Amino acid sequence: MTTKAASGNHADGGVRSTSGATVDLRNLSRSFGTIRALDGLTLRLAPGELVALLGPSGCGKTTALRILAGFETADSGSVAVDGRDVSGIPAAKRDMGMVFQSYSLFPNMSALENVSFGLRMRRLGSAERQRRASGLLDMVGLAAQGKQYPHQLSGGQQQRVALARALAIEPRVLLLDEPLSALDAKVRLQLREQIRSLQQRLGTTTLFVTHDQEEALSMADRVGVMREGRLEQIATPDELYDRPATPFVAEFVGIMNRIPAGLLELLGASALAADLVPHPERPAAGVDVLVRPEGLRITASPSGNGIVVGRTFLGQLTRLSVRLSGDVVVQVDQQSTEAAGISPGDPVDVSLAGAPVMVAER
Amino acid sequence: MAQQTDTVAAPGAPRGSGARPGRPLQARLRSARLLLGVLPFSIYVILGLVLPAVAIAIGAFQDSDTGSFTLSNVKTAATGIYLHGFVTTLGVSVITSIVPGIVGFLVAYAIFTARRGAVLRRCVITASGVFANFGGVPLAFLFIATLGSTGLVTGWLTDIGLNPYTNGFNLYTFSGIVVVYMYFQIPLMVLVILPALEGLRPAWREAANNLGAGTWQYWRYVGGPVLLPSFLGCVLLLFGSAFSAYATAEALTSGSVPLTAIQIGSFLNGNVLAGQQNVGKALGLGMIVIIAVVMTAYAVLQRRAAQWLR
Amino acid sequence: MAAIAGGNLAEDVEGQIPSGKSGRPGVRQFPVWRWVILIVVGAYFAIPLIAALRFTGFSSFPQVVHQEGFSAAFELSVRLAVITTVLTIVLMLPTTVYVHLRLPRLRRLMEGITILPIVIPPVVLIVGVLQVAPGFLKSTPYLLALMYVVLAMPFAYRAFDAGLRALDLQTLVEASQSLGAGWRSTLWRVMLPNLRTAMLSATVLTVALVLGEFTMASLDLYQTFPVWIVAFDQTSGPISVAASLLALFVTWIFLLAITLIGGRGSRRKGGAEVSLFSVSRRNTGGS
Repeated sequence: MTTKAASGNHADGGVRSTSGATVDLRNLSRSFGTIRALDGLTLRLAPGELVALLGPSGCGKTTALRILAGFETADSGSVAVDGRDVSGIPAAKRDMGMVFQSYSLFPNMSALENVSFGLRMRRLGSAERQRRASGLLDMVGLAAQGKQYPHQLSGGQQQRVALARALAIEPRVLLLDEPLSALDAKVRLQLREQIRSLQQRLGTTTLFVTHDQEEALSMADRVGVMREGRLEQIATPDELYDRPATPFVAEFVGIMNRIPAGLLELLGASALAADLVPHPERPAAGVDVLVRPEGLRITASPSGNGIVVGRTFLGQLTRLSVRLSGDVVVQVDQQSTEAAGISPGDPVDVSLAGAPVMVAER
Repeated sequence: MAQQTDTVAAPGAPRGSGARPGRPLQARLRSARLLLGVLPFSIYVILGLVLPAVAIAIGAFQDSDTGSFTLSNVKTAATGIYLHGFVTTLGVSVITSIVPGIVGFLVAYAIFTARRGAVLRRCVITASGVFANFGGVPLAFLFIATLGSTGLVTGWLTDIGLNPYTNGFNLYTFSGIVVVYMYFQIPLMVLVILPALEGLRPAWREAANNLGAGTWQYWRYVGGPVLLPSFLGCVLLLFGSAFSAYATAEALTSGSVPLTAIQIGSFLNGNVLAGQQNVGKALGLGMIVIIAVVMTAYAVLQRRAAQWLR
Repeated sequence: MAAIAGGNLAEDVEGQIPSGKSGRPGVRQFPVWRWVILIVVGAYFAIPLIAALRFTGFSSFPQVVHQEGFSAAFELSVRLAVITTVLTIVLMLPTTVYVHLRLPRLRRLMEGITILPIVIPPVVLIVGVLQVAPGFLKSTPYLLALMYVVLAMPFAYRAFDAGLRALDLQTLVEASQSLGAGWRSTLWRVMLPNLRTAMLSATVLTVALVLGEFTMASLDLYQTFPVWIVAFDQTSGPISVAASLLALFVTWIFLLAITLIGGRGSRRKGGAEVSLFSVSRRNTGGS
């Protein structure tokens, strides 16, 4: 059925082992009653790629995943794996490994039995099942826990078993439905790395759904930001951060300041303000400028344009909240050494440190 | 209920003579005082439950006339019509725990998995609550009107040539009791198995599916094994319920069918042979023992189920 | 015997993930076999009711009230119900609250103890009781009320326990105290209002139990309402059946009351979740 992946340890870029499949979602739409969960989603996953679907709850990311898995059907559009249309194939026959959000391990089976379940369904002999399942448990670092039952394992351990179980059937596509959201922070970080390294080692094409942007940005080759059933942008994490396609993406990924264009003069960016004004269809008053915290600078100044209202120490950087006129509060990241003398209540001068990320309508 | 520590009047003065420090005594007094809160309840339980039970246990081994220790009551209770009573009761209980167990499970499953059936589910649950409570006298009369010799359904069946009474059925005997008991056993099963069904996570079904299992395989490897302890436990519960039932059988048969519960009752009605008054207590003791065993098994099964269905 | 009420309604499994049935896309219908089961079983339950109605005829119902002995029997049952309910609440509520607050380790024991009235069937219990009860009690029907409290114990305890568990009483009491309330205020303003639903369901269950209890009453030779119904059968069949239907109807009303109250009460208030035997993880809290 599937050949075992050649394990290549390639970091990023470079050639991956190609045991993963190509996944082609075309124009998927799905409504639940009056709610339009998916609105024409088109997405292509290259072999061995890890794509994260990121977005607020209700944006349709889980629906897309479930359609791919075969637990939902799309109202329109097609799903193809390695060029073959799989829409008519039931979930049990799609050969995709899925890791659910939580509590998906079969409670009446030990960890080992859970992992070998998929192999049992594929009629593998018991010796072979045992061998493969142990190998996988070893890969996720739980070789000693094979005989334990789910209720005896911690949340993180359970998800690792679930991962091993999904990988046991050597799927061409791996589906992860917010697998880390039910775990606590420290475990989450550990598991993130483990999932990523396993995925890369095996070269399995992976679709990862999450609402945690840090997770998506740190793990994925590409991230697709979704909103209200549509894909707003799909790009590498860097591109998403530096060159967001829409204001929604810009504000969803990382921290973003939204400054009315009318305040640009105040910030000393008169040239920019002049630039923005003479647009016939866009009166300057109705336009906002989006700037990252590191795109602003602060200098202490008694006659400045703002007052510091908050201060958060972040290690190397300090984030200062400054209230400008018109009740606009901006976040400014400054090197902690420079920000040392500035405290809430101080008057400061805020200025643009470079070009803003983008201009957006009000 | 304000908590005050046991302070002695003279601060600094040693508590009492002797090498023992005051602390353990203080702690012990405190826990003793804590237990005071459950005193009324404990007294009530002792007087209302433990005492009668003990009286029965003792009386079972006492000669009815002389009060001396004897095993004759127990022996009598285990032979003859009394043994017959136990066997019959067991028969009734087994049948009316397994069959309603299965039927009840099917009903529960039918409403549980209905996606758009929230209304249906609520209706069935309410109805189950009502019918599970509906036993004894009113139930007997309902069935007399239905399956009695001149009952409605009896009439229908006779019309199509299947008179139940000529085919071995009689409402006022074993077969009748079995049919009537279903009326409250099935709803009882529905009520007690539903929480277990609700404990079946959809994720398991989907995970099994995803790994290649079809419906049958899911039930065989996951659903069935997970539900089995609960199912067995509930069947045991039904068994206990049927075994100790009195009112329905009494209203229906007036003692013509040998059932342990009825026989015990008859001892209070004075229908006893001389010198055998305490046999009733022996019977009662036997019943307590049987049900205690059943309930213990039930508790064990539920604990196992609770582990998995967490 | 089965005097168990259901009602896990405060937590209906409403939000089932909209997943396709058996993973096969397209099969979303309500399969036939389910309807078959429900109709067959439904018929089994409906037919006796219809038969009884047919048998007794609607004219019998008003006559029930006029029968000899009806008012005495009914009145006795009601009196016993009231006494039992008051006693049960007075006994079980403080005890359950106390155990929750101060002796949480005893909860398992309490559950075990309150199972006992089920292990010792009423028919056996009455034998023992008549043996040990003092003479002055035996000659009044109030002995029955006292025993009914024992019978109601499992349900009352579980009603209060479920209500308390949904409540996190410890935190509430501490919050109340930290804000300066004394014990009396805390009891009156914080605890009891939040336990209203649980109290109501305990009341309803107890009343339903007493009004339907036959075994102990008949063996103790007191003519409560159910006992009267049986006795009356000798005189007039249809009236008995009518009275039975009436009794059923009354029970139904009561239980509907719990359903509605419990359904309305949110999970946070002492919801009327009284399933006597429940395996769900909700009830394994505390471990």
